[in-house]
Amino acid sequence: MVPAVVLADGPRLLVVEAGGPLPPVTCSLGATPPEAARRYALLADGDFPGPLVQAVRALPRESKVVAADPRWVEGLARAAGRPVRTATVAELRAARSRLDRTAGPEDRAFLLAVARRMLETALASPEEVLVALAREEDRLERALGREARAADHFLAVPGTLLETYAPAWEAARRDLERHHAQLLGLLEESARRVAPNLASLVGERVAGRLVAAAGSLPALARMNSSRLQLLGSRRRPSPVRGPRYGVLFRAVRMNDLPVARRGAYARSLAALAVVAARADATTHADVALRLIARRDRRIEELRRRDR
Amino acid sequence: MSRSPRAFRPTPDSPRLASVRAADRTELWTRTNGSDPSVYGERWAYARGEAYRAFEPARSKLSAGLVKGWEGPIPSEGEHWLYLGAASGTTASHVADLVGPTGRVAAVERSLRPFARLLALALRWPGLDPILGDAREPRGYATFVPPVEGIYADIAQPDQVEIVLANAALYLRGPGAALVVALKTASMGRDASAGQHVRRAEEELGVAFDLDPSVRLDPFHKGHYLVGGRSTDALFRGEVSTAPTRRRARSPGRS
Repeated sequence: MVPAVVLADGPRLLVVEAGGPLPPVTCSLGATPPEAARRYALLADGDFPGPLVQAVRALPRESKVVAADPRWVEGLARAAGRPVRTATVAELRAARSRLDRTAGPEDRAFLLAVARRMLETALASPEEVLVALAREEDRLERALGREARAADHFLAVPGTLLETYAPAWEAARRDLERHHAQLLGLLEESARRVAPNLASLVGERVAGRLVAAAGSLPALARMNSSRLQLLGSRRRPSPVRGPRYGVLFRAVRMNDLPVARRGAYARSLAALAVVAARADATTHADVALRLIARRDRRIEELRRRDR
Repeated sequence: MSRSPRAFRPTPDSPRLASVRAADRTELWTRTNGSDPSVYGERWAYARGEAYRAFEPARSKLSAGLVKGWEGPIPSEGEHWLYLGAASGTTASHVADLVGPTGRVAAVERSLRPFARLLALALRWPGLDPILGDAREPRGYATFVPPVEGIYADIAQPDQVEIVLANAALYLRGPGAALVVALKTASMGRDASAGQHVRRAEEELGVAFDLDPSVRLDPFHKGHYLVGGRSTDALFRGEVSTAPTRRRARSPGRS
């Protein structure tokens, strides 16, 4: 028998019955697009508007109830006190064909409100914030480098307008540096919160850059150490020159080593970093101290090496 | 920049797609009703009071297909299309141009950062509807997508054909609806050659579609092919299996 289909058409929830009335029972999700978007998001959590639940309860006992979106099934079944399953493609098509689909402007406003809301919810996670901050810091660092280099070969010819320009520019650059320092502070805090082990091991800045380069912390955790070592490098590794400079090359204790040893250190550090990232992504165990101990031991070993 | 109005020659079956003879080659342009600034750095031109945007084959697989002789359906005026894998909106903006002010494009993308740019774009492109969703779960966006005249898919996934079929079965309006798929053979598995992937895709799609000849998109997009055609009754009779396979979970250490 043809079931009753619960679906949404724009900011409205509908119950479409095979032999039922046309237009089908309609329940508006909200008066304004943001309100409707909020209520739409709640459907997946099982929070359905009262009138809709009533309508579903009022359906004859023999009717089967199906929902368009699989995420609604559990919540709707609980709210309506009757079994609900996901609609098949055929059932959904049949139900939709009975609708009078003239999309009005409120449909687009609703769609945009839902899109904005979903994007904001997803971007509000601490991990996304870290990625955003790391990318911002990267851009800012590049900008500062460009400004500094330009300032180096700028000639403030005395007695011309350039002389008055130079100090204003310098003040602007100092402001930018201060802004960068502030951003670094935020980045450090964010990295410590999102990936504490990795931040302790390679430094917060590099940790942020690694997560950003991988796209997400779980993505970073899935990598093997050779891939992690290459994150952030623009060039391909070569058998002659070795892997090129990735983000890891700017890790915390790289400067303690002579240049000839840095490749070996990067390799070992990458292996440790992978362990740290995996701990941060899954178990959240505190392995930082042990990893740091290994790292420092390796540094001593490399320093003692003769050739 | 202004060009002589005569220079923009609309193509016969798609009045909003224009060809322009320039130097040694023919360029493709789309008539737009979005607003400046440019979406991805493309050139704009004005003629007869209309704005046109250059449709570069190097940036857009659809354009590359057209340049390389794609004879299958393309979005045209007044149609409603579903675009799977819209990313930042480079090609999606042109699809929106092609369907014009009376048509619409439902652009589905699941990655957050490209979607943010797509959303910002949609605010100044009236026919573009951005949807944050996974093409693997077509029911997730049924609220926003009515029956459509065509689907354009550019998703680099190993099971892209299955995903496309699932969406087609649910959203295409009926027999004769259009399908255009940009096949990235490199994403489909290292175990078979590009040609084998294309043949397998054609076999799977051929059950439900009358396919037009596939077009190789080299040199613009290496290893990519444009595949597609018009739907037959078979798609709507439930003869096609429409469950996309779950990707196998990736284990740590996989490079």
